[in-house]
Amino acid sequence: MKKIEAVIKPFKLDDVKEALNEIGIVGMTITEVKGYGRQKGHKEIYRGAEYVVDFVPKIKIEIVVDKDRADEVVETICKTANTGKIGDGKIFVLPVEQAVRVRTGEKGTDVL
Amino acid sequence: MVQDEAGILIQKRKKLVKRLLDNRAPGFLNTSAELFDDYFCGVFKKSSTALKMTDAGIPVALVALGGYGRREQCVHSDIDLLVLFENSIPEMADQFIRDLLYPLWDYRLETGYAVRTIKESLLMSWKHFDILTTLIDARFICGDFNIYFLLMKTFMKQLSEKHLQNSLGCLIAYGEKRHSVFGDSTYLLEPNLKSGLGGLRDYHSLMWYARMVSDVKIRKDLEYYGFLSCEEFQTLESSLSFIWNTRNMLHYITGRKCDQLHFELQIEVAKLIGFKAETGHQGVETFMGELHSKMEFLKQINQLLREYILQPRPNKIKKAKKRTTLSKSTKVSGIVIRRQMLEFSSMELVPRHPGLLLKIFVESGRLKKPLSIDARRIVNEFSYLVNDSFRRDTSNVKAFEKILSYSLWKFNVLNVMLATGVLEGLIPEFSSIVNKIQYNQYHLFPVDKHSIRSVQVVNGFKKKDSDKKFSFYSIVYKGIRNKKVLLFAALLHDIGKAEPSSEHSEKGAEIARTIVARAGYKSSEIEDVVFLIKNHLFLAKTATRRDLSDEETAVFCADRIGRVGRLRMLYLLTVADSIATGPKAWNQWTESLLRDLFLKTMNVLKNSELATRKASKSIKKKKDQIINLRKKEWDKVKLKKELDSMSHRYLLYVPVPEIMGHLALYKNLGEKAFLWKITKEDNSEIRRVSICGRDKPGFYSKLAGVFFLNRLDIVGSQAYSWGNNTALDIFNVTPPMDRIFENEKWEKAEKELQNAIEDDQFLERLHGKIPKKILLAPGQIPRPNRVKIDNEISRFFTVIEVFTYDFPGLLFTITNTLYRKGVDVRVAMVATKVDQVVDVFYVNSVDDEKIDNPSYVEDIKNAILQNLPELEVKKEESK
Repeated sequence: MKKIEAVIKPFKLDDVKEALNEIGIVGMTITEVKGYGRQKGHKEIYRGAEYVVDFVPKIKIEIVVDKDRADEVVETICKTANTGKIGDGKIFVLPVEQAVRVRTGEKGTDVL
Repeated sequence: MVQDEAGILIQKRKKLVKRLLDNRAPGFLNTSAELFDDYFCGVFKKSSTALKMTDAGIPVALVALGGYGRREQCVHSDIDLLVLFENSIPEMADQFIRDLLYPLWDYRLETGYAVRTIKESLLMSWKHFDILTTLIDARFICGDFNIYFLLMKTFMKQLSEKHLQNSLGCLIAYGEKRHSVFGDSTYLLEPNLKSGLGGLRDYHSLMWYARMVSDVKIRKDLEYYGFLSCEEFQTLESSLSFIWNTRNMLHYITGRKCDQLHFELQIEVAKLIGFKAETGHQGVETFMGELHSKMEFLKQINQLLREYILQPRPNKIKKAKKRTTLSKSTKVSGIVIRRQMLEFSSMELVPRHPGLLLKIFVESGRLKKPLSIDARRIVNEFSYLVNDSFRRDTSNVKAFEKILSYSLWKFNVLNVMLATGVLEGLIPEFSSIVNKIQYNQYHLFPVDKHSIRSVQVVNGFKKKDSDKKFSFYSIVYKGIRNKKVLLFAALLHDIGKAEPSSEHSEKGAEIARTIVARAGYKSSEIEDVVFLIKNHLFLAKTATRRDLSDEETAVFCADRIGRVGRLRMLYLLTVADSIATGPKAWNQWTESLLRDLFLKTMNVLKNSELATRKASKSIKKKKDQIINLRKKEWDKVKLKKELDSMSHRYLLYVPVPEIMGHLALYKNLGEKAFLWKITKEDNSEIRRVSICGRDKPGFYSKLAGVFFLNRLDIVGSQAYSWGNNTALDIFNVTPPMDRIFENEKWEKAEKELQNAIEDDQFLERLHGKIPKKILLAPGQIPRPNRVKIDNEISRFFTVIEVFTYDFPGLLFTITNTLYRKGVDVRVAMVATKVDQVVDVFYVNSVDDEKIDNPSYVEDIKNAILQNLPELEVKKEESK
């Protein structure tokens, strides 16, 4: 099993969700996060005072899938979240050791 | 033998719970407590240990404490028992406890007990506040009544003589602590029936206060001693029984003593009580609405009566002496301050001057002093005086505006106005959202409370120093001229939520129009209120669903909002609405998105020509015109969508025929890198080239290069990016020298552009052809070449302006330099006037960011200047 963590621009969430649904991925965890990478923060000036926006709001999506499907999921997110601009985000793929469904205690890929 | 008693108790309790579920157990709490009483009496009679103690002359009494003492025994409430001895605890006590309690424990009935002497009981009460409160509620069950009586008599005597102030202090502190712990908004979504705001503890505390300082023994005494009016007492009864019933059902469902009404359980509890879905509302919404109103009543009555009961009475002995009722007058005649609370100086004044009904709230807000319970009653009694002419009266409207601006955190006059019925009198439309619950985890407050909170949040922006994180909002707030418009919008923004509908904003805007029109507002003010309510979700939606780094998003907002003043108000309304909704709707994450959008939109409104009223009008006109002209070739909806996705800048500056030309090219572009079309201008020696191509870095410089290569002099040019990775450009050029083979020349140029796109070095050979010097006419004083790079004009682009003299290959020189330096031209406006040229480029780095690194800026500037030819003034020919 693989866990896919994708950090994307907030306004792309609906598109990504829809695209993932289309390829049969229905479960995911969404978190509102802040951060920055190459796209640094910026300054805004209002009425003479400076407001530094140092962390940029992003959405983090976490999905655990069978390892055979990981590439397809990554590709889908990549394609959908792309605006061609900086700050489109990053995707990480991590190995997952075990998954357990709390209600039944089932284990392994069946619970995904 | 003894086990039997417990068995009977269990049986009877089962039957009782069953009756409760059938809604046939009105006195459940009382009956439930009596069952336990019966059990203890039965066991006491039969217990051999008890008999032995009686024989030995050791008096013992069983005393019910706490909730059990109050006969408020819910399904899984625990039992609190005191086994009381007179002077010392005998050895037999252990066995006695076993007789009493083991059978209960065997049935897993939670039973707490204490074995104490009278002295110990008293000592511990003065030491531990929670023991003190259980003893206030003590009730005799069985055994020796005399020692119980002795305990209680001494307890009350010591309480009033030595411990009153201290105990009252503890009780107040306990209440404050409880409210601060449970006052958190999450407890609104999942109310705690016992300890929460408006929970049963609010009622218990009230009884404790009353018992400590007066002769009140039972609930009914509150009415008997005049603390509550008959109506209030009835409301108290019905509120309590509703909450108790809810608590019983909650205990039953969870199978344990659980007082927090968790979100997941609310539907089930509502169903058990018998709430059914009706006209678009779930049963659970009606249920939660009712529960909130009952708890609100308990909260209010707690605050009110506490003030009343705790009126300074320094010493009980002086009680006989009539209380001094010094009253201070206020700014308003007819309203006085008595005991730190506002009152009417005489009740008869109110019907003669109905305006006092509002003025007392104005004074209350201004002085931050509450209305006395009598004043509230009078206001409530006379609220029928608030009729249509009252509502239209200018001075009443003014008074209400003041009340709106006085509504603050921790002292919200509007809440009291709502509780007394005056708010609904003044705005009858408000009734429809009172205690309206939306059953989801997002909305924590009933709609009416949420609206009032929104007003309170807006007023919170007034203070500049109090809260650092609010400082930004207070700056924005200061900029708002007509604050009453914002306050009214905050109060009414959800007024359309009465009926389930997806468009509560539109609906609410129309309801609000009636309300503010009735209040006699100017039409511009009415339109502002209507606009704010109609669009109160617009900014929040845009901030989370559109790309904020795209200029078009800000222009789109600016276009919709239109004015700086409206933007400020809409922004603060959005913030206040979100904060008042609850933590799910408001966090730093949403806050930074919203602020970003606000600042960018503000900048567009202030500094940009793209969203002025005139610009919006002209763009709309152009769009309509194009759709009309092209309705045959294009699907109307699709064409509109394409036009909507074009930048405002493009639509504003490019004339209709050119836009249509671009659209035609775009339609046929397919997989090709570009398409162009050459048109001859009538009566002019100028060729107009419209280009539609894939928007890749360097595309514009390659176009300029190919024209230079073919000696087609560029007279003017504009470049735009279309959102969908398409570049739309227009060049005005002089025609080729050879007019006979003009078409062939254009075909050659087209091929060369194709080559240049495929081979990045294709145009490098042009560098040799750029002149080294520009010769100026004799006598001219040369103005040196100048490059200005600006990051202030636009939030989204770096603006580069180049001032120089015209020469062949000028545009190519500049744009190619930019391209090679990693700068991407997004918008270009190039025009040659006589000989001095000002070329303007809106650029970003290839990473799509502004270029604000000073050394990078310097580098670009120098590179452009270096590539421009030197200026030289032609020497005058010698005569």
